[in-house]
Amino acid sequence: MFHEVKNRVEGNSKIASYAEDLAKELIEEGLSAVLSKKLRAEELRRINLYNEEALKEIDKRFSSWFGERLPEKDRGSFRKALYLLLGSKERIPRPLVCTPLDLRDLDYVRDIGFPGEPPFTRGVHPNMYRGKKFTMRPIVGFGKPEDTNRRIHFLLKQGATGINIVFDLPTIQEYDSDNPYARGQVGLCGAAVDTVEDMKALLKDVPLDKLSISLTTHYPSNTMILGSLFLVAAEEMGCKWEELRGTVQNDPVMELVVRTSPESLPPKAVFKIHVDNIEFLREKVPKFNYVTYNGYNLREAGTDEVLEMAVAFSTALEASLEMMRRGHSPDDFLDRMAFFWSVGDDFFLEVARMRAARRLWYKLTKYVLGASKERSWWCRFHVQTSGISLTREEPLNNIARATLHTLAAVLGGAQSIHASAYDEAYSVPTEAAHLVSLRIQQIIQEETGITDVVDPLAGSFYVEWLTNKIEREILKEMDSIWRMGGLLRAIEEGWLHKRIAEFAHREQKLLEQGVIKIVGVNIYRADKASIPPIDVFRYPEDAEEMQRRKLEAIKSLRSKERVENALAKIMEAAAKGQNLFPYVIDAARERATKGEIFSVFKKIFGVWKLRISI
Amino acid sequence: MGRRVKVLIAKLGLDPHWRGALVVAYMLRNAGMDVIYIGNAMPDEIVKTIIDEDPDVVGISSLGGAHISLGREVIEEAKRKGVYEGRVFIMGGVIPPRDEKKLIELGYDAVFGPGATEKEILAVINQKLKEKGIL
Repeated sequence: MFHEVKNRVEGNSKIASYAEDLAKELIEEGLSAVLSKKLRAEELRRINLYNEEALKEIDKRFSSWFGERLPEKDRGSFRKALYLLLGSKERIPRPLVCTPLDLRDLDYVRDIGFPGEPPFTRGVHPNMYRGKKFTMRPIVGFGKPEDTNRRIHFLLKQGATGINIVFDLPTIQEYDSDNPYARGQVGLCGAAVDTVEDMKALLKDVPLDKLSISLTTHYPSNTMILGSLFLVAAEEMGCKWEELRGTVQNDPVMELVVRTSPESLPPKAVFKIHVDNIEFLREKVPKFNYVTYNGYNLREAGTDEVLEMAVAFSTALEASLEMMRRGHSPDDFLDRMAFFWSVGDDFFLEVARMRAARRLWYKLTKYVLGASKERSWWCRFHVQTSGISLTREEPLNNIARATLHTLAAVLGGAQSIHASAYDEAYSVPTEAAHLVSLRIQQIIQEETGITDVVDPLAGSFYVEWLTNKIEREILKEMDSIWRMGGLLRAIEEGWLHKRIAEFAHREQKLLEQGVIKIVGVNIYRADKASIPPIDVFRYPEDAEEMQRRKLEAIKSLRSKERVENALAKIMEAAAKGQNLFPYVIDAARERATKGEIFSVFKKIFGVWKLRISI
Repeated sequence: MGRRVKVLIAKLGLDPHWRGALVVAYMLRNAGMDVIYIGNAMPDEIVKTIIDEDPDVVGISSLGGAHISLGREVIEEAKRKGVYEGRVFIMGGVIPPRDEKKLIELGYDAVFGPGATEKEILAVINQKLKEKGIL
């Protein structure tokens, strides 16, 4: 039999019981009810920006404009969005023109405020990009660790200011390069990493104390394993953990929903490891973002922009409640919680959505979780431009798409951005395509003056109206998740899988019917002969062979007994309900491989399989 | 009128991009076919399922770059086990153009990229089923 998933409470029991009561309240009363109860006092202090007299006059003028000036054909469709776009379930209906009438009860201080101040609609820093430019953090990873290391140095030389490392599928699915499951897939889609030695090769000559490194570890279990390989590598390369800056992904939704794998850990186990990671990294690697709730991949798998954020925030709330149940005060950990959003085609909505996300997260952390430090209220996020929008047809058009998405991310106040490369519908980017994606960001930053003024779209009747609207929509979707008993329950019951499958199928139909229009694909199609073919990346072919040899060499050099002892200690710790991270680090130090550690996890927790009936 | 066409859809190896495979699964179901979606599987598991379920069409989804290496094994294993003949084998996903021909040479009846439409997919499957005398 498998061990029961145990969590030990060692901290403050008062916080633990507060969290227990709060969780019950959220499920029984609903999230928005709890939030509005806690916000009531603040709501009573609202001051309307527009006075009644002015609104009355605008109202009168609007009526005559609508009735006399506006062409009749536009009156019936006044509140409809004209186009249906990729990545949106149904576009939020919006008026042909917005006026103060759409923002009757706008309170400047409470709804918009100043940058760096609650409710953070305008950004988390007072000077935003004047103070700190957005991090240009390209994704990189393919082949052997040495291949990826070369591309990292190429990108840094061209001006990248952060790095986002992606791993190959065996690494993400936690199999060693010599596992039969890994056959044919080593070094594809990302870098192969099996042991601490690979991590050291991957990071050779990279200034770990200065550059922020994002490890796209996706899953909680993988975050613990790859995170351990990374921490031991950094230590052996002479870098202190306290100096390390960067991010891991550590998202349970990635492990349980977005991925499908031949073997997956059960939801409760994934969640335990998720919170173990938060607890351990917060204490030992204080400048590291111990989590990046990944709305991006969820949306790419097939959700709309509302569910993307609702799921990420729900996971974040559930993890916070679990940290509190373990006795940690929210102010002890919230400051390093980060998010990862996709940015899609609905340009103004995307800008509004990022503004709304900051405001909503502030309300949730302050009023629902009871955090009192400003940093705990910050919704900081990385943005990647939409991958699903990239077309194989006329691939250079993708440069225009990535540029618009990047612009929306900048106007939305993102901390860090990756612009997707134009050849990603074919393969991982060539060096040339990678460079263009970096240049998109540099051109926006250096050539346009767009970052001069903080939150430049604030005060636009349209953008403020959309910001309010999307905030309400996200909260409504979160309500439906809590009504099911929280996100973990919704996942166990297959609700999220079903939502994704339905969305993806519906969207595909709309694309094929030409309702959603994609230039060069289902509208304005060019003659194939007139489009020159692009170069497509070729993977290094020796990755699998070299990784096998390296594994063999490492296994012959290490002490078998010490590795086995270290792995056995992970099992013992799990039986006692302890945090597993320190034990995984010890195993990594002994040169246990990623696959060996994952095998221990499977032994402890068992394997979960959700079937999708069609 | 013929019997219902039976389709097996699998994600090849460890590739987690399952959106396209599910979309195609829904699409074929709506076109009146019986669809079994088994999620991620390695070539031997896929062939084992072919033996158990006896599908008319085998759809393999690969967006992870393993379409040639593991895709070849699916065909070879199916031939070894004597279940290659009398079925339509389809590969779909992110496949560089130069590999499309190679997959056909390996024994796939058709290859679909990200731009493939419902119409195309259904037309090609039906045509191949007829060519092979399955329908």
